[in-house]
Amino acid sequence: MRVDLSGITVRFGPVTAVDDVSLGIEPGEIHAVLGENGAGKSTLMNALFGLVRPESGTISVDGKERQWTSPQDAIGAGLGMVHQHFMLQDSMSVLENIVLCSEPANSLGFISFAEARRHLDERAQGHGIALPLDRQVGALSVGEKQVVEILKLLYRDARVLILDEPTSVLTPQEKDRLFAVLRSFRAEGRAIVLITHKLDEVMEIADHVSVMRGGRLISSEPLSATSKDRIAREIIGGELPPTRERKKRPLGDVVLSAENLEIAGRGFTVGPLSFSVRAGEIVGIAGVSGNGQADLVEALVGLKRPLAGTVSLLDQRIEQQDIEARRHIGMSYIPEDRQRTGLALGATASENANAGRDDRAAFARGPFLNRGAMADFARALIDRFRIRVAGPSAAADTMSGGNKQKLVVGRELARNTPLVIAENPTWGVDIGAIDFIYGELMRMRDEGHAVLLISTELDEILALSDRILVMYEGRIAGEVSGEEADRDQIGSLMTSRAADALAEVA
Amino acid sequence: MKTLRGILSGEALSWAGAVAAILAVFLVLMLMVGAPIIEALQGFFSGAFGGRRYAYLMTTLSRTTLIAGMAISVMLSFRAGLFNIGGEGQLVVGGLVAALVGVLLPGPPLFVLTASILAAMVAGGLWALLAGVLQLYVGVPLLVGSLLLNYPARYLASYMVAHPYRDVQSGMIQSHLVPMETWLPYFPGTRLDIGILFVGVAAAFAIVYSYTTVHGYHSRLNGLSPDFARAVGLPVKKLTLQTLAMSGAIAGLVGAVAVFGIHHRYIDGMLVQPLYAWTGIIAVLLVNMVPWAVPLSGFFFAAVQTGAAGMERAASVPKEIAFIMQAVIILFVASRVSGALTASSTRRETDNV
Repeated sequence: MRVDLSGITVRFGPVTAVDDVSLGIEPGEIHAVLGENGAGKSTLMNALFGLVRPESGTISVDGKERQWTSPQDAIGAGLGMVHQHFMLQDSMSVLENIVLCSEPANSLGFISFAEARRHLDERAQGHGIALPLDRQVGALSVGEKQVVEILKLLYRDARVLILDEPTSVLTPQEKDRLFAVLRSFRAEGRAIVLITHKLDEVMEIADHVSVMRGGRLISSEPLSATSKDRIAREIIGGELPPTRERKKRPLGDVVLSAENLEIAGRGFTVGPLSFSVRAGEIVGIAGVSGNGQADLVEALVGLKRPLAGTVSLLDQRIEQQDIEARRHIGMSYIPEDRQRTGLALGATASENANAGRDDRAAFARGPFLNRGAMADFARALIDRFRIRVAGPSAAADTMSGGNKQKLVVGRELARNTPLVIAENPTWGVDIGAIDFIYGELMRMRDEGHAVLLISTELDEILALSDRILVMYEGRIAGEVSGEEADRDQIGSLMTSRAADALAEVA
Repeated sequence: MKTLRGILSGEALSWAGAVAAILAVFLVLMLMVGAPIIEALQGFFSGAFGGRRYAYLMTTLSRTTLIAGMAISVMLSFRAGLFNIGGEGQLVVGGLVAALVGVLLPGPPLFVLTASILAAMVAGGLWALLAGVLQLYVGVPLLVGSLLLNYPARYLASYMVAHPYRDVQSGMIQSHLVPMETWLPYFPGTRLDIGILFVGVAAAFAIVYSYTTVHGYHSRLNGLSPDFARAVGLPVKKLTLQTLAMSGAIAGLVGAVAVFGIHHRYIDGMLVQPLYAWTGIIAVLLVNMVPWAVPLSGFFFAAVQTGAAGMERAASVPKEIAFIMQAVIILFVASRVSGALTASSTRRETDNV
């Protein structure tokens, strides 16, 4: 099945999200759509899938012009989409999720699950996908949930599969398995559209590459006709930033240390964990999401009381202190979820920038706010961190993801505290902003701050860390120095404790 | 500009639609009960805004005092993300304490009045604080705790005026009258007491507080995103307790105003049956907690209520039908106001996927 988009334009109010884009998707091809956040790639795919209605332009399937009034139409025509955030019912079984909305029902309305099972086996055969169909989806790992989403598409025999950032939640091994499945789909003549911002993956698997920037299609050509450097330049619209030099510097004193820390996690107890972070180093905590990192961060920051153990910041015990006190002693925190925790989206950029400041006198006169001083501070932050926003009084929710994140990073780093805790600081952020945030974190390190980086992006950990701790099932599975770290070694630590893995083999 | 005009005309159209819908329902109801339509309409408007020397408008304003006062109290809590729906209890406690202090405390009238009002505010504040303490230290969600505290307040007040402090001679379940000298005076030539000025001051305080103070800023951040407020280290517990105390104090003030301005004593049920606190909550939600609009919203609700009563008097429309009409008006206006608010928020949405 061949799909053609021609002249697609999507507007949200005054913003043109997709501007006159024409694109062809060929059967038996893996088509990567690349671009920074806000480049319009997700919106374009949402238009293709019937989730947004384009203002102009046409979608044609096998040469016939089609119009979707809802995603149901697109699904009926043979399209399927796996969203970045999975659309699954956790309390239902894998099979129930898969057949949802296209149940093989008889005339009395009873669902024949045997029929569904047979049908699914037929389709899934030969792709190397194995999943217990009766398990509850809630009990599956993130990688397995993704497989459920893919099986859903397969069950409906989708000929065009759209996958939005499918690898962002996977371990390197899981990613390899996913790619094997996608290759097998390709061999069957299905078309796959891969929305991503990871260049390496594109180079590894794509046949055709389309780059979007600012809502426009910059290029669309076979992978063989382009190069990695060129794609990267097209994505950011300029030259690539030079790779960063890591300055050797002597280690400072211990800034943060945790001893036998135990925390109540989701489903298991996290810990006991013992580690320390010194001034002038970035310690990375790697691991697949959900292995206790979030609980660790909450305990360190003060969002959660630990069950046992101690945490010291600058030689003061803090495990029973509240967040305000910890921040006052010398902690800044860049949370993972900028939409809820990092920012108050309903407030203005200025109100967000000034939240959590210790120097009350600088932005208040007695009980009253000094709005002018607040705006000046916000403006300084906007300039220094090159945040694109209409102004200090613009609402935070008018900003793009990358700029929101820069505002969070800027606010926290401007506090200049001895310790910075950064939790997935570049999650869902474009390349330009990622580079900038990495630069700022490195600068903090070079200036002698202690940085604890918790990230599920292995590339991020490898790019920044002086030391790497890998977490698995609530424990530290291993420690690797940043210089000698290699991807596969960390990848295997991420999926099992080294000792346990050996024991299993034996 | 073209789009703005489009939006405005769209807005006007939908308002016209809402008014048409209200009129249509009105027509059907009037035909159903066989009431004269024009008289009923006139009755509604004169009942809300007219009367001899604007007597009915004064009634509306008097009701506005209590509804808007409660709305301001609720707004302070809601904007801070605190779902304090115990305004009724705080109002009752304030009214009861005001009446008792007014009756029992000897001294010059102005002193008694001042002391009563302050005592009412403290009582209302403490009652609200109790719900906050239950949430923070016992783990009772504020929504539940504040609601459940309405009942002890109500029955405590009933008991007080039914037994220890009852005006037995009156034969009613009510306290003695507070001294006449302490009654809030009327505006010259009207039957409207100056209680509305107290609420005016409270409204001014609430607006200034919400827009210009550090405390208002911090509590709004907490209201917008509690996770955010916690993560940036705002003193969330302190903010919660202080905001609740403030909220409760204003409810207490409203209770005192009802005692010294309107009833001049505490009558069992006088602050509960008219649903002032609940109407206040709806009035706040109608305008999406925008501070300056809250008093206006209170006025709107008061006018709809007195208008419905006017309709009942003028065209002998049964009370129940008048209530239905009242509900219909609120429903359609609410759908329009919230529709406009949603529209403006979707307009702001950009592509940050």
